[in-house]
Amino acid sequence: MRYSVIVQRLVYRYALLTRLAHWFGAIAVAVLISSGLQIFNAAPYLDAADRSTPARRVLSIGSPADGVGQLTLFGHTFTTTGFLGWGSDGVGGESARAFPGWLTIPAYQDLADGRRWHLFFAWVASLAWLAWLVSSAIKGNLAEMVLRPSDLPKLLPMQAYYLRLRREPPPHGTYNPLQKAAYTFVLLVLAPLIVLTGLALSPGIDAIAHPLTVLFGGRQFARLWHFLGMLLFVGFALVHIVQVATQGFFNHMRSMISGWYRLRDHESVGP
Amino acid sequence: MKRRLFLASSIAAALGGCAPIGTALNDNPGFHHLLGLEGALDAAILGDSSGLARRYSVADISPHFPVDSLPTPTSSTYEALLASGFRSYALAISGAVERPMRIPLARLAGMAQQTQITRHDCVEGWSAIGAWTGVPLRNVLLLAVPHRDARYVVFRCMDRDDQGTPYYESLDMAQAYHPQTLLALQLNGRPIRPDHGAPVRLRVPTQLGYKSAKWVAEIQIVGSFAHLYGGKGGYWEDQGYEWYAGI
Repeated sequence: MRYSVIVQRLVYRYALLTRLAHWFGAIAVAVLISSGLQIFNAAPYLDAADRSTPARRVLSIGSPADGVGQLTLFGHTFTTTGFLGWGSDGVGGESARAFPGWLTIPAYQDLADGRRWHLFFAWVASLAWLAWLVSSAIKGNLAEMVLRPSDLPKLLPMQAYYLRLRREPPPHGTYNPLQKAAYTFVLLVLAPLIVLTGLALSPGIDAIAHPLTVLFGGRQFARLWHFLGMLLFVGFALVHIVQVATQGFFNHMRSMISGWYRLRDHESVGP
Repeated sequence: MKRRLFLASSIAAALGGCAPIGTALNDNPGFHHLLGLEGALDAAILGDSSGLARRYSVADISPHFPVDSLPTPTSSTYEALLASGFRSYALAISGAVERPMRIPLARLAGMAQQTQITRHDCVEGWSAIGAWTGVPLRNVLLLAVPHRDARYVVFRCMDRDDQGTPYYESLDMAQAYHPQTLLALQLNGRPIRPDHGAPVRLRVPTQLGYKSAKWVAEIQIVGSFAHLYGGKGGYWEDQGYEWYAGI
C-alpha cells in the first residue's frame, strides 16, 4: 500500500530534450566562464564606453609590482594578491595575471586558444538554450516556470521557509515562486542578454549589425555587460547548486537524469 | 556539517577540475583541431561579407591611440628610409599580377585619398577610434592588374619579432577589395608615426587589429599562402589566432 502511494507521487517532470539541454548547457557554461576569464586576462579592464576610455573604467585587475595583485572597482582599490592580479600562472608558478590559472581554460595564458574554446562552446550553450526554449514554448511547459503576478504574494513566505522562519513552504505547482523568479530571470532575461552581448562581440557581427553593438552602448560596453551577465549567472549557479544539494539531492539529480521526480507534500504539478 | 563540507568540496572539485581537464584537452591535437572548426564556420558564413565598419565623428576620436605590436623596425633598411623622410620608400607589388611594380610613396600620396573615422578593435580586447587617410587597397591592386585566378593578397612587413621572424598578413580578394580596406598614410591628419607603421600600414576596419599590418613593404598576390612561414596566412595566425578575424 505504502509503495503504491510512493509510485503515484513520482512524476515525469523533464523531457529528454530538457535534460540534454541542461547538461550540455551546464558543461558549456562552465567552459564559457573559464575560457571567458582567459579572454578577459588579455585586457583586464572594463569600460562603460564604446572605445577604451580610462576615465570610464568600471573594473580593472592588475599587478602594480611583482608579487602584488589589485582589483580596482569604481576607483576603489583592493589588494587581491594570490587570487586576482597576481596568482597561479597555470604552469606551476605565479605571475601577474588577472584571473589565476586554476580558473581559466587553458590554465596557462593563451588568448588564441581561449577564444577557440569560447567561440566553439558559445554555439553549444546557445543551441542548447534555444532548443529548450522552442520545445518548451511549443509544448506549453514554459507556463509552469514563468513567474506570474499571482506568485508575487508567495515570494516572501517562500523565502521565510528557506530562512527557517516558517515550518512549511506555501503550496505551489511544479516550481515554487522563488524558483520561478530565478528561472524566469536566468532563462528568459539573463541568457538572452549574455547571448546578444556575446553576439555583438562575435566575429563578423558588428559589420553587418551595428545596431546590436550600439544598443549596448558600444564595443567596450558590450564587454562590460557580457562580464556582468557572467557574474549574475555565477551567482545563480552557486545558489542553484546549494539548493539542489540541500532540498533533496538524490531526488533532484534523478529527475534531471531520468526525468522522474518525487513530489513532496506541498507540491503539485502545474503552473 | 558533513553535508556542507561535502558540498563545498564538490564545488571546489568542479571548479578545480575545469582548468586541468580543459588544459589536457587543449593540448590534444585532435580536440584542438575540432575547436578550430568554429573559426572555419565563421569564415564560411561571414568571410566575404560586404558589411561596413561603423563610421564615427571627429568628436569620437581616441585622444591616445595605443601602440600594441611588434617593435618598430630597427633594420638599417628601415633606418635609411626613416632618415630620407621615406622619400626612398616604394611599395612593391608582385606575384600573380599582369604588371609587377614599385609605387613610390609620393605616387601613393598623389592618388585619390579616402578618410575614414573607424574603430580599431584589438583581439586582446581594447578599442580605439582614429581618422585614417590613405588609398583604397582596391585602387592600388587594380594598377597592377591581378590575374583572374588570384586568391589572396599577402602583405610582407618590415617588423620582426625577437626570433627574427618577419610579420606578414593576408586577405582574400573580397576582403582586399572591400571599400573600407585602406593602405593608410595618415592617422588623425598627420603622416603615420614610425611606431604606428610608417610610412604605409594596412587598415582593415572590418577585422581585428592584427590584420591591419604595419610597416608594409611588399604586396604579393598568390593562389595559396600554405608555403609561407607557418602556412596559416599571417604572423599571429601561425601562433593559433584565426585567419578570419571579422568584427
